[in-house]
Amino acid sequence: MTAIAAAETVRPANLAEARDVLLDNGRARGVLFRGAGTKLDWGTPPHPVDVIVETAGLDRLVAHNAADATATVQAGMPLARLQAELARTGQWLAIDPPHPDATVGGVFAANDSGPRRLRYGSMRDLVIGMTMVTSDGAVARSGGQVIKNVAGYDLAKLLCGSLGTLALVAELVVRLHPLPVSSATVAVHADPTEATRLTVELLGSPLVLSAIEWSGGWLRLRVEGRAAGVEEQVAEVTRLVGLYDRPTEILSGDAEADLWRRTADSHAGTAGETLVRAATLPDHFAEVAAAFEQTCDETGVAGELASSVGLGLHSARLRGDDVAVHTATVGAWRRRVAALGGHVVVRRRIEGLTDPDVIWGPPPPAAGLMRSVKKQFDAAGRCAPGRGVSGM
Amino acid sequence: MQTELALVVGPGGFVAHPAQLRTYECDGLTGHPVIPGLVVLPTTVDQVAAIVRECARRGVPFVARGAGTGLSGGAQPHPEGVLIVLARMRRIVDVDVVNQRVTVEPGVTNAEISRAVAAHNLYYAPDPSSQIVCSIGGNVAENAGGVHCLKYGFTTNHVLGLEVVTPDGEVVQLGGGVLDTPGYDLRGVFVGSEGTLGIATKITVRVCRTPQAVRTLVAYFSTPAAAGDAVAAITGEGVIPAGVEMMDNLAIQASEADAQAGLELDAGAALIVETDGPAAEVDCEFARVGELCEAAGATGIRVAQNAAERALLWKARKAAFASMGRLSPDYFVQDGVIPRTKLGEVLARVAELSTETGFRVANVFHAGDGNLHPLVLFDAKKGEADDAAEVAARIVDMCVEAGGSITGEHGVGTDKACSMRKMFSESDLEVMLRVRTAFDPQGICNPGKLFPTPRLCGEKPGPYRPHPLEEAGVVERM
Repeated sequence: MTAIAAAETVRPANLAEARDVLLDNGRARGVLFRGAGTKLDWGTPPHPVDVIVETAGLDRLVAHNAADATATVQAGMPLARLQAELARTGQWLAIDPPHPDATVGGVFAANDSGPRRLRYGSMRDLVIGMTMVTSDGAVARSGGQVIKNVAGYDLAKLLCGSLGTLALVAELVVRLHPLPVSSATVAVHADPTEATRLTVELLGSPLVLSAIEWSGGWLRLRVEGRAAGVEEQVAEVTRLVGLYDRPTEILSGDAEADLWRRTADSHAGTAGETLVRAATLPDHFAEVAAAFEQTCDETGVAGELASSVGLGLHSARLRGDDVAVHTATVGAWRRRVAALGGHVVVRRRIEGLTDPDVIWGPPPPAAGLMRSVKKQFDAAGRCAPGRGVSGM
Repeated sequence: MQTELALVVGPGGFVAHPAQLRTYECDGLTGHPVIPGLVVLPTTVDQVAAIVRECARRGVPFVARGAGTGLSGGAQPHPEGVLIVLARMRRIVDVDVVNQRVTVEPGVTNAEISRAVAAHNLYYAPDPSSQIVCSIGGNVAENAGGVHCLKYGFTTNHVLGLEVVTPDGEVVQLGGGVLDTPGYDLRGVFVGSEGTLGIATKITVRVCRTPQAVRTLVAYFSTPAAAGDAVAAITGEGVIPAGVEMMDNLAIQASEADAQAGLELDAGAALIVETDGPAAEVDCEFARVGELCEAAGATGIRVAQNAAERALLWKARKAAFASMGRLSPDYFVQDGVIPRTKLGEVLARVAELSTETGFRVANVFHAGDGNLHPLVLFDAKKGEADDAAEVAARIVDMCVEAGGSITGEHGVGTDKACSMRKMFSESDLEVMLRVRTAFDPQGICNPGKLFPTPRLCGEKPGPYRPHPLEEAGVVERM
């Protein structure tokens, strides 16, 4: 990361400045976009860049139309600050990713999400409009201010999760949800096989759960809504879970909030860890967990698994600092997950783990089209060069 | 070229006779028929790819067509091009009940997906009014919505993966059955691209569990504006109903003539509100909806007492369009979106416009998400078509001025390509065109749709209009 540290840092305060920074007299300098910097180690390490464009100067809540349940927010606004603003009118942007200081734009550019994606979707589903600046200085807007709109290409889908490799995201219009009046969580001690069976049963039931998460031998089931609704659903969840005859507890209030913060963090990992993300169909969790255990046994790595079972998204934290061991673990688990029809990418990585093939796995089937898109948006290859999928 | 394509699809999959070609001269937008050069009806992805490769090799334009129910001319044929009709690709490829995913070919209808999983208490959530006949391939192209998308989202929120034939004839997979496939979300930009980025030949969607409880009411108001205020109150309260539909007096009268649901004929507007979900949750929300309607001045509320009564209310809503023929020999269906808080204001302006121009305007629409569908009634025999079209166009202008959109679900197609500049700057459109170029450098895939072109809209982009961002003082003229 030394190349990044050496680069010049600029902090545009408005859209016109952002555009001028990117145009920057055509010297074709490499740029890296930075929000709070919580996910800079996602993707492949970019080639050395000359400029880091920080979005911290673009941090305003431009408009909050509470009655319409929409908001226009600049990319550099910290998500926690946005949520605090919105909460004053009983609303929130329905996303609960880890990293409390992450910016709205950063969460969007990484398409990071948290446990409650099960109910509300990810940033991809909540953004209804976007303003972007390309590396050749084009300011473009897509979508709009209304929740229903099919005019033009939905460029926000393309930019969401692009890790800053296509353009600078300057502003987002988002759809808001009412803050739930009441919440409760049923936690049940369950191994991955039991957790999978229970999850399948719950997904097939008319219960509406906000999150289904497994870590450390516990499956946690969150219910939100109005008080009477939550009470009724918790009773039903407890009845279903009771059939498994396992230790069970019901959490609410601060203990519940704390549990969910820790759950979100279990998908983030910490510095000095490699965080590997696998995606499968939800009913494959037991196999994914078994494959992970087997892989760890083989490579000797110290690993820990957390899973958004209801979504089929699994995060593995690898500890220790041996790049070869981490590489072997990623490779072996990837082969096993691929055999289940899933895929594996590395998010956070330890120093020295830089091989795009290890980080991303085999190129996606549409890699050719993705390269064309990258070329159209960033012809000179200036935006986070090499950071994207397969080193794009 | 005929010979090559005939070899690909066989004699039964090929139409070249002028009289038969006429069948395909338009989709649901009937005003500007175009006879296609050729029509092919492939049955496999390999055939689609072979046809597209042949077009690409010769630089011949092609247009994909599903059931032809689109209302913006997205499937309007090209006079020198090949029309690729996907109606014979109708296999349900895979049903995964446990993981709630279904994979189908593009010609399968929207309603067939729900039928295929109904026995497992699952359904496909996006429900455009034409769902009995419209195909999922067309739904993907147009990012179709429907009555229940307020709560459950649009096609784009339910399509997980696509097999696509790109405009150079290659077959690629975008997204997949599992979430977060690595790389750019090309599936996301493909959905709603109106057939300009390629042809979807296989579609994987997620299906939802049917809700435990569903409750529906109809509330009557003296004016559409008052009903609009009730919608804003419901939204502002944080209730997200499964659907909120409005019919004004003209729409009620037209619908009653056919559906006979017993709607109050003298009401200024009727609001149909449905809530669904876990029973206790629904009870709370439903009670609150009733209170809010009363507070907004509802003159009467009728609650559907059972499934049959609920079905009748929805029949009334869905009949309103088709029944309009009883009130007028011709009508234009407009599609625009406004912020929900502006419903009352914009509906009042539409009423003024109607009085001012003498054209009756019926309103029947998805009020919960601000998606207006004004029907401008006219008589073509009296030469009223052009003036009526002008009234319809002015309503869309009002939507844009109110901070909304030129289309909420019908799409841009040929119908509104020239209106795109009302919403987007040249720079916005130029960047969107980059996506087009990345997928289709030759520009042969459904050309002339979605984007304004000099041929369609005149040589010059019209008088300069400041970009909304400029007006806000956020950016300078760029």
